Amino acid sequence: MEFLRKTGAVARRELSRIARQPMYVVLLLVMPLVSFVFFALLFNKGVARDIPIAILDEDHTALSRKVAQMIEDTPTALVAYDLQDMEQGERLMREGKIMAIVHIPDFFEKNILSNRQTRIENYVSGTNITVNGLLSKDIQTAVTTFTAGVQIQLLTKQGLTERQAMAQLMPVRFSRHVLFNPYINYSYYLSPSFMPMMLLIFVVLVTIFSIGSELKYATAREWLRTADDSIWAALLGKTLPIALTMFLLSLAMLLIIFKVVGTPLNGSLTVILLGTLLFILSYQSISVLIVSLMANMRLSLSLGGGYSVLAFTFSGLTFPVMAMWPAMRAVSKLFPFTYYTDIFVDQMLRGAPVRCSLPDLGCLALFVVLPLLCMPRLRQVCTEEKFWGRL
Amino acid sequence: MSRLSKQLKSYGQQFASVVRNEYRAIFTDDGALLILVFALIIYATVYSLAYGSQVLRNVPIGVVDECRTPTSRSLIDTFDAGPNTYVAYEPTDMAEAERMFYDRDIYGIVYIPDDYEKRLYGGEQAVVAIYCDASYFLMYRQVFQELVTSIGATGAMVEFQRLIAKGANIPQAQATTQPVIYQSHNLFNPYLGYGTFVMPAVILLIIQQTLLIGIGMIGGTWREHGLYHRLCPAGRRRMSTLPIVVGRSLVYASIYAVTCTYILGLHYRLFHYPMKGDTGVLLLFMAVYLAACITLSIAVSTLFRKRENSLLLLLWTSIPLLMLSGVSFPREGIPDWLFSLGQIVPSSHGVNGFIRIQSMGASLSEVFDEIKALCILTVVYGGLACIGTHQVISRELNQRTGAN
Repeated sequence: MEFLRKTGAVARRELSRIARQPMYVVLLLVMPLVSFVFFALLFNKGVARDIPIAILDEDHTALSRKVAQMIEDTPTALVAYDLQDMEQGERLMREGKIMAIVHIPDFFEKNILSNRQTRIENYVSGTNITVNGLLSKDIQTAVTTFTAGVQIQLLTKQGLTERQAMAQLMPVRFSRHVLFNPYINYSYYLSPSFMPMMLLIFVVLVTIFSIGSELKYATAREWLRTADDSIWAALLGKTLPIALTMFLLSLAMLLIIFKVVGTPLNGSLTVILLGTLLFILSYQSISVLIVSLMANMRLSLSLGGGYSVLAFTFSGLTFPVMAMWPAMRAVSKLFPFTYYTDIFVDQMLRGAPVRCSLPDLGCLALFVVLPLLCMPRLRQVCTEEKFWGRL
Repeated sequence: MSRLSKQLKSYGQQFASVVRNEYRAIFTDDGALLILVFALIIYATVYSLAYGSQVLRNVPIGVVDECRTPTSRSLIDTFDAGPNTYVAYEPTDMAEAERMFYDRDIYGIVYIPDDYEKRLYGGEQAVVAIYCDASYFLMYRQVFQELVTSIGATGAMVEFQRLIAKGANIPQAQATTQPVIYQSHNLFNPYLGYGTFVMPAVILLIIQQTLLIGIGMIGGTWREHGLYHRLCPAGRRRMSTLPIVVGRSLVYASIYAVTCTYILGLHYRLFHYPMKGDTGVLLLFMAVYLAACITLSIAVSTLFRKRENSLLLLLWTSIPLLMLSGVSFPREGIPDWLFSLGQIVPSSHGVNGFIRIQSMGASLSEVFDEIKALCILTVVYGGLACIGTHQVISRELNQRTGAN
C-alpha cells in the first residue's frame, strides 16, 4: 500500500513533467502518430503496378507482337519503349528509365511455325531485388502461357484433342497454394515490420529522455525523494505513464495495420496484445539499463538510438535470419524485436497455434526482467552528484 | 576596387575563423564525433555483416509422398538437387507436415498424390500440390521458384520421352516440348545478393542521416549554451553569413571526404560490392550529394534549441526516407504525391543516381537529372542555411547586448 502511494506520487510528478516539456509530448504522442500515418499512406497502394520495361523485337511478326502484348498485359510490367537495338536499351536502363529488356530474336515466328526451337531472353536489372522478383515472375508467366498456347496448336494439328494435348505438354501440373498471404501483397510483409519498428524507436528514446533529463538537469534527487528513496517506486512511477501511453499508441497501430492496411488477422489477438505489451516493456527495460550504465543522456540516446535502429535488419523479416552467418544469427537473438516479429507473423498471417508463440513470449519476458539487475547502479547514479549535468 | 579587395579580405578572415571554430567544436565533442565520424563506419560494417551471406539457400521443405514409387522418388530428388531448397523431412501425412510448418522446421510442403505414377504412365496429367509460405518474401520466392522449376523440368522430361516413344526424332521432340527457350538474366547483381541490393542505398542514407543528426547536435549545443556568436570574429558587430555557411560546409565535406573514401574504397572491396562507376563521375556525384546533405543539415540545425533534439526528432526518419527513395519498396507501389514530396530530400536523388553509377556504370550524362536536382537542392538549402544562421546569430547577439 505504501509502495503504491509512492509510485503514485512519482507518476503524478511525471505527468506534470510531461505537461511542462513540449519535447516530451512530441516524442510520446505526436511523432509516433505521424510515423504511423506515414506508413499507412505509404502502404495504401499495396502492390507495385506498371513497372516500365522495354522490348527489343527483331522479328516484327504477328507472333512476336503477341508475346509483347501478353507481357504488356501482366499486372507489373508496362512496355514503355520499343527498342531499335540493345545499346539503346542499356542506356535507358542506366538512365533508370526501365527495369528490364525483353529480347525477341529474328526468325521467331518462322522457327515456331516450322517446329524448330527459338528463344526469348529477358534481361532484368538486379539492383532492386523486389522489382526484379515481381518482373521475373510475371514475364516468365506470360512467356510460359504463350509457349503453352503454341504447343497446344502444334499438338492439335497432329490430331490430339485439347485435353490430350494438355496432358501431353504438361504431364506434371502443380496446383499452387500460397499460404497465409494469398495475394502475395508486399505491404502485408512490410506494415507489421515498420510500424512496430517506429514504436520501439520512440519507446527507447522517450524512456531514456525521461530518466536522462533528470540527470542532465540535476533533478534526480528530487525524483528519488518523491518516491521516499524507493528506487523501485521511482522507476515504476516514471515508466508506467510512458508504458501506458505507448500501449494505447500500439492499439492505434494495430488498428491501422488491420483496418487501414487490411492485413489479415488469422491467429490470436490476445497473444498479439500480450506480446505488444511485453515488447514495449522489454525496450523500456533495456533503455533503463543503458541510461544507468552511461549516466549521460546524450550518450545514452546515441547508443539506445543506434541499438533500436539495428533491430530491423536482424529481425529477419526482409533478409531471413536463417540465411545469415552463424555469428549474425546469434546477434539477432539480442533484439526483442526479433521475437516480436515472430509472434506477429505467427499470429497475424499464419494463424499458428498459441503454443508456437509461447517461447517468443518467454524470451520477451526475459528482456523485461534481466536488465533490471542494474537497479543498484541506477540508485547510485541518481544519488551521486558527479553523474549530473553532463552534456 | 579597393572596396572589393577589402570585402574579400574580410571574407577570408571570417572564413578561416569559422573553419577553426568548427573543427574545434567537432573534435572536442565526442557525441558529435561519434555520429559524424564513427557512425557511418560502424553502421556500414554491421549491416554489411548481417547481409554478408548475401543469398538465401537450402530452405528446408517437407514432402508428403503418398505415391511411394521410384517415379515419385525421382521427383523428390529434383527438389534436393537445386541450390535453394532441400527436403528436410518426409512427414507421413498433411497434419504432421502442418505441425512441422508451424514449428518453423519447414517452409514449404509438396504433396504427391498416390495416383501420381499411374497417371504419368497412363498418359494423363498428374497433379502435384505445392504449399508455399508467403509470410516471408524471400523465403516464398526461393521455395516457389525451385519447386516450379523442378516440376517443370520433370514434366518436360516425361513429355520428351513420350514423344520419342511415339517415333519423333530428337529435334522435333525438343521443339514440341519447348518451342521457346526462355532465359532470364539478372543484370548488375547476377546472384541477386541482398547486400549488393540494399547496401548502396543504406550507405548513402546513413551519410545524410548522420550529417543531419550530427550537425543538428552541434547547432543545438550552440543554441543551448549561446555559442553561435563565436562564428563572428571578435570585435565585429556586423557579420556576413555566406562565409559562415561555406566555411562550415567545407569542414563537414572534408570529414566526409575521408570517411567516404574509406567506405567506397576499402569497405566496398571487403564486401565485394559492385564498383562499376567511373572515378571522376563518382567523385563529382558524391561532391554534389554531400553539398546538398550538408546545406540541408545546416539549415535544419538552426531550428534545434537543445543538444539532444536532433537525435530525438530525426532518428526515426531514416526508414521512411529509405522507403521514399524507392529502393526497398518499389517506386511504383508508392502513392505519387508522397513520392514527389520525397524529392525534396537529397537521399531520394542521391540513392538513385549512386546505384546507377556504382552498380550499373552509368556515365555523367546518364545521371544528369539527379545531379541537376541535387544542385538545385544545394542552392535552396544553402539559402535557407544562410537565413537560419543569420536569424540565430542576430537573436543571440541581441540577447547578449540586452543582458549587458
